Amino acid sequence: MTKKFSVFLTALFCAFIGGVLLISLVLPKKDFSPLENRYLQKPPKLSLSTLQDGSFMEDAEDYVSDHIVGRDFWVALKAWSERVSGKQENNGVYFGKEDTLINRVDNPNMDKLTTDMGYVDALVGNLSVPVYLGLIPTSAAIWADRLPAGAPTADEQAIIDQLYFSTGANTIDLYQALAEHSEEDIYYRTDHHWTSLGAYYGANVLLETMGLEPLDLDHYQKTTVTDAFYGTTFSTSGVRWVKPDCIDTYIPADGVTVTSYFDGTPSQGSLYVDSYLDVKDKYSYFLGGNQPLCVIETEHTDAPKVLIVRDSNADSLAPFLTERFSEIHLFDLRYNLTSVKDYVAQNDIDTVVVLYSFSNFASDPYLFLLGR
Amino acid sequence: MVFSTPLFLFVFLSLTLLVYYLVPRCLRNLVLLCSSLFFYYWGEQDYVNIMFLSTAIDFIHGMLVERCKAKGNDKGARWAVASSVVFNLALLFFFKYWDFIASSLQAVGLNFMPVLNIHLPIGISFYTFQTMSYTIDVYRGDTRAQRNVLNFGTFVTLFPQLIAGPIIKYKDLGDQIDRRNTTTEKFASGVQIFMVGLGKKLLIANNVGMLWDTYKAMAPGELTVAGAWMGVLAFSFQIYFDFSGYSDMATGLGRMLGFEFLPNFNYPYISRSITEFWRRWHISLSTWFKEYLYIPLGGNRCSKGRWVFNLLVVWAATGIWHGASWNYLLWGLYFFILLMAERFFLRSLLAKAPAFLGHVYTLFLVLVSWAIFGLEDFSQLTAYLKVMFGLGGVPLANGAAGYYLFSYLPILCAAALASTPLGVRLYRRGNVRVQQVVCTLSVLAGLLVCTAYLVDGTYNPFLYFRF
Repeated sequence: MTKKFSVFLTALFCAFIGGVLLISLVLPKKDFSPLENRYLQKPPKLSLSTLQDGSFMEDAEDYVSDHIVGRDFWVALKAWSERVSGKQENNGVYFGKEDTLINRVDNPNMDKLTTDMGYVDALVGNLSVPVYLGLIPTSAAIWADRLPAGAPTADEQAIIDQLYFSTGANTIDLYQALAEHSEEDIYYRTDHHWTSLGAYYGANVLLETMGLEPLDLDHYQKTTVTDAFYGTTFSTSGVRWVKPDCIDTYIPADGVTVTSYFDGTPSQGSLYVDSYLDVKDKYSYFLGGNQPLCVIETEHTDAPKVLIVRDSNADSLAPFLTERFSEIHLFDLRYNLTSVKDYVAQNDIDTVVVLYSFSNFASDPYLFLLGR
Repeated sequence: MVFSTPLFLFVFLSLTLLVYYLVPRCLRNLVLLCSSLFFYYWGEQDYVNIMFLSTAIDFIHGMLVERCKAKGNDKGARWAVASSVVFNLALLFFFKYWDFIASSLQAVGLNFMPVLNIHLPIGISFYTFQTMSYTIDVYRGDTRAQRNVLNFGTFVTLFPQLIAGPIIKYKDLGDQIDRRNTTTEKFASGVQIFMVGLGKKLLIANNVGMLWDTYKAMAPGELTVAGAWMGVLAFSFQIYFDFSGYSDMATGLGRMLGFEFLPNFNYPYISRSITEFWRRWHISLSTWFKEYLYIPLGGNRCSKGRWVFNLLVVWAATGIWHGASWNYLLWGLYFFILLMAERFFLRSLLAKAPAFLGHVYTLFLVLVSWAIFGLEDFSQLTAYLKVMFGLGGVPLANGAAGYYLFSYLPILCAAALASTPLGVRLYRRGNVRVQQVVCTLSVLAGLLVCTAYLVDGTYNPFLYFRF
């Protein structure tokens, strides 16, 4: 190596590592990464105990990774490199056909599912009103033809059938209902939720199972509220080369009173919260995102009252339910420690639906609260 | 701390280099010592004292040995060496093997040793070997005793090689600890080797490691014959690129600081026999065992029976050094048997056979050895081996195997190519201008892509926590 070239190579290396350090130090720190949809690591707290248990070190390593200059660029570059090297997934997200990003769904822990089904049955036993169980298959199952060839994925249909077979709850065959419309845009391509169209098919099978009159989509006007939605699978995948999703609505928000309990106290909410259309987390447009409890009152005062033990898929389903119920109570076990049994009694609920996506149901650690 | 984190590369390394080159020469070892201790403490909060202890004991023993020898007291010197060896082996035995022996004994109903749930101090297998060989070398007259405890501490804790080797002998490094020159040429060549190592670790080892982990986690019923082979192939590449990547990074970092380490790997996967494989694989470990175990036992200058026994001891020790678990012992003995077979009859056969047969023979046996190495649980190991050899009652391949093969084929091919010296040979053929362009582009691309993998590093295992 010539002297000149050594100087050049040394300078290149030192300038790179030193430069990244220096610029990262100087740049203002963000608390939240909208692109990745997560809170970034806070500065590590230095104390004797955090040093001794090593948590200071772990936090410091995450802090450096999270606040490095150009983090979004590096994340995207890694996803690109994976794709170029022949990979068909990154960070647990499959690069599907038709610009579709699909969360990988591994075989769930059947012991956990069996235990959780026990809690569902305990709820059935606790209540005198009918209880319905609805498991929403993920896009990995319904859009399996968009997965890379041979991509491993759980057999959701078989597992849902097995769980439905053994439960004392009434079951809603969402799998069949969605599979019949797999050619349509029933899931977002960049998010793990169903679209309003998917929720519509879900609402109808739910209504039919309950013996209520289904809706007819022809009676409603489709409104596209945004065409620039990048969802959660987009965030985790690091994939930045797909086109954004649209968010559509069908049901007008008029004549509906929404009471949200974001912090436990009632506040006036809305079926659709426009301000979320301006931020990254656009799915929270529906009802304003996760909340411990949300009560929707409609003009159909003679219709039954439904309580939904929810995950976030219920938020885009709720508008359709306003057409057939007088009150819709969305109850989130993760943030609401009230007993479901007591809540049903206090609010004269007529029917209860436990509604989860397959992967949320398989991973949720709070389902034991159903039985209390 | 491990090399393949943003914290190491951008914070620790930049600041260490900055301070190292700013202070006067006489303070450089102190800077190294302090930064190395910080580096070690970062990953090992509980047992820093053990390393201090090992350092202090061998520093004193080294002096003692030299003093005894100067007075012509060979017996005293021998006692000092013995005491150092006993002390280091006791440390290693207690922290690494106590729980293993205790639980093995309990499994057969003997409960006199309690299981203490000791976690293995990081790097103990490396630094006890280094400090032990120091005292022995002082006795053998291969090196003079170090008189400055700071310098000796710098040798033991030197962060490039502290937690994953190579195992550096004091006689090879002692002079450089006392006096070394730092030049831009050395630094630049250090950058090159470091980047090669970083790329090996982040772009190849971590990548194929995910494939191995997928197959390792499968129940025997989910495996397929092709999948099992692909899994073990992935592990073979993971362990080679991870380990040699660490060694390259260590060598590169060493050069940036002015040190010259001996090579630790020399394209082991191009070997034509197992004997050759072990001359090319983890060279610093095999030479250590040769110099400090095999030769003291008598080497091959003894009866045939004794010689076979010596080799048996060396290979059992090599196996169990890699981890306190039966499968590592089995792995060592597996190589003992193969090496014996080669010495007694296979060597002449292999010499006559065409080259490719030798390669196929070696790679096949090495692949099988990695299955033994990678699966600690015996029932899992036997089930996995059965599947590999078509006795598992599972299909030859399935959709998932196809998916993984398709996803990983480019990386596996790149790994295969990078396991041979072809790339380096091609590079050396170019003229200076071409080399400079290729080198600049590779370093730049390497820095960018490696940073991307560092920052989005969801999978970055550290394989040596059992060593």
